[in-house]
Amino acid sequence: MTPQRTRLRGADILVGTLASAGAVALVTAVIGVADQWIPVLSLGALYVFAVLLVAVVWGLAFALPVAVASMLAFNWFFLPPAHTFHLRDGENWLVLMLYLVVAVVTSELAARARRKAREAAQREREAALLAEVAVSLLGGSAVTDELDGIAGRAATVLGVAHASIVLGAAQPETSDALSYPLVAGGRPLGAISVPAPGPADERIVRRFLPALASLLAVALDREELQREALEAETLRHSDAVKTTVLRAVSHDLRSPLTAITAAAGGLQSAELDLDADDRAELVATILSECGRLERMVGDLLDLSRLEAGAATPVREIWTVDELVGAALDELQDEGTVVELPEDLPPVEVDAGQARRILVNLIENAKRHAATAAGVRVSAVSHGGDVLSLIVRDDGPGIAAGDAELVFEPFWRGARGGGRTGLGLAIARGFAEANGGSLRAEPAEGGATMVLTLPVAAPRPVEAPA
Amino acid sequence: MTGGLILVVDDEPQILRALQTNLRGAGYEVVSAASGEEALAQAATRAPDAVILDLVLPDVSGTDVCRQLREWSEVPVIVLSAVGDESAKITALDAGADDYVTKPFSIDELLARLRAALRRTGQPAEPLVVVRDLRIDLEKRAVTVRGEPVQLTPHEYAMLALFARNVGKLLTHGVILKEVWGGGYGSESHYLHVYVSQLRRKIEADPSRPRYLLTEPGAGYRLVEPS
Repeated sequence: MTPQRTRLRGADILVGTLASAGAVALVTAVIGVADQWIPVLSLGALYVFAVLLVAVVWGLAFALPVAVASMLAFNWFFLPPAHTFHLRDGENWLVLMLYLVVAVVTSELAARARRKAREAAQREREAALLAEVAVSLLGGSAVTDELDGIAGRAATVLGVAHASIVLGAAQPETSDALSYPLVAGGRPLGAISVPAPGPADERIVRRFLPALASLLAVALDREELQREALEAETLRHSDAVKTTVLRAVSHDLRSPLTAITAAAGGLQSAELDLDADDRAELVATILSECGRLERMVGDLLDLSRLEAGAATPVREIWTVDELVGAALDELQDEGTVVELPEDLPPVEVDAGQARRILVNLIENAKRHAATAAGVRVSAVSHGGDVLSLIVRDDGPGIAAGDAELVFEPFWRGARGGGRTGLGLAIARGFAEANGGSLRAEPAEGGATMVLTLPVAAPRPVEAPA
Repeated sequence: MTGGLILVVDDEPQILRALQTNLRGAGYEVVSAASGEEALAQAATRAPDAVILDLVLPDVSGTDVCRQLREWSEVPVIVLSAVGDESAKITALDAGADDYVTKPFSIDELLARLRAALRRTGQPAEPLVVVRDLRIDLEKRAVTVRGEPVQLTPHEYAMLALFARNVGKLLTHGVILKEVWGGGYGSESHYLHVYVSQLRRKIEADPSRPRYLLTEPGAGYRLVEPS
């Protein structure tokens, strides 16, 4: 930076000197010509133009020599006795002094105007950066991601090599740097620093950096508060979910336990006179209620893994008929109508989770179906990244307003009992974990669930021989 | 006359008690162990006909017991796994376990698996395997379904022959890939499920409701006698 600036000044000096000499020579030539018609003494005033021009453009440092040179040239060429520096008339000294004063006053005025303009432009750049930073920071973008960009722009505005913004308690690396802390509400959040500038620029740095520092501090503080608020909100929500879960679970667990206790107690009792059929029925009750308990615990486990983000799918390539088959097998299902096109592409999903989704969907559909063969599983592929599996029943359907509510854990709108009300929530959770989606579509006559699953990406393989 | 000696390994006394009662009721003799170390000692001294092994034990994992057992014994091993233990289950199967049941299991299911495992031991390979309407002639490499010959690709036949030599046994993906494609399989592993689906379309009446070739999601496949 520094050598470049010196070179620029060198060029300035050369141009300034040439222009000054040129201006004096030009005015001298003009006077030399006009001399024939106009009294030479009044023509001396023309030198004021040379002084003025040089003073405005190049400043006092050039204007003073121009004033002196003008005076000497006027004296040498035009004032009697010509071609000497002697002055016959004492009052001519007054004219020369006038040039000098004009030179000093104009150049000072011009320099002041120049400084003002430069200062205004600098302040404008600073204000523009501050405004830009304020807009981007308060506009909701993440401050921490923007810090490098802001530091770079601040360095440009200040005309320094680089600026750095450090978060946390870290100290600036070099001791001769100018550094300002970012403080909000009495807490230090970090620091902004630039390498030590020259005395002229230091004033700008001392004016601009504190403003930028306080703006950044406010933005960082706001960001942190926002993050804390979000965390608090998440915690509150998860607390509410847990409360709902506990309440529902303690209620739902009690009914199978009551049935089991009653049935087992009956079998154990010496007072009861039970025949073989009664005993078989009590045993059947115990087994079916145990199955219900098992499914509830399984649901809760699935839900907790989904909530904890621990349901990492092991995705493999499967055909849809195989996944549907595994689900029907688990359900010991006979009535469901399956209509799958022959040319469905294979999907890439976790087989266990896909089976869980389908079991829950088919089970849910069967619970609401009006007839034994009222549940249909079909599929469509439009050649995209996903294909759609559709599970439809012929029951009362889902009210348009409930299309999203049915996926809430423990939603008990029109549910026929038996499960915890977690089935659809779990199905959607697993669908999303596998890169798919699940939604309810309002349709004529019965509920329609649309499950999308990702189609397997083609891999290089020789076709099975 | 007992059905055989069964070693039951589980550290939970209630489960141990329930299993012992039921197995004795089914005509088996039962010895029990509550730790991996005890299990290996019992297996060595009592030479059981089958082992029922919990995957979670206080000292070592059931998988380790399985691996050590396999160093000197071919005794059938059925592991008990819990929901959420899918990867442990696969590791145990790859370490030499023959089958698994997921807790909580019905005693009928466990007894069926046990009978199937006991039946397979010491049985010489038959050249003709008949599973209901499915006939696989391993000598002539010919397959018929309900009397109709079925055209299979070499890989499909190799898979079906592998299943036929292990009727009722759970075969993991790793085992199928190794036996059918040898060590050199690469991208086939991605497509194994697709190959099985293609085979199923040729031998099952309704591929969405397979009756012969069943999927055990997350574990493998099993060729069974349709119920």
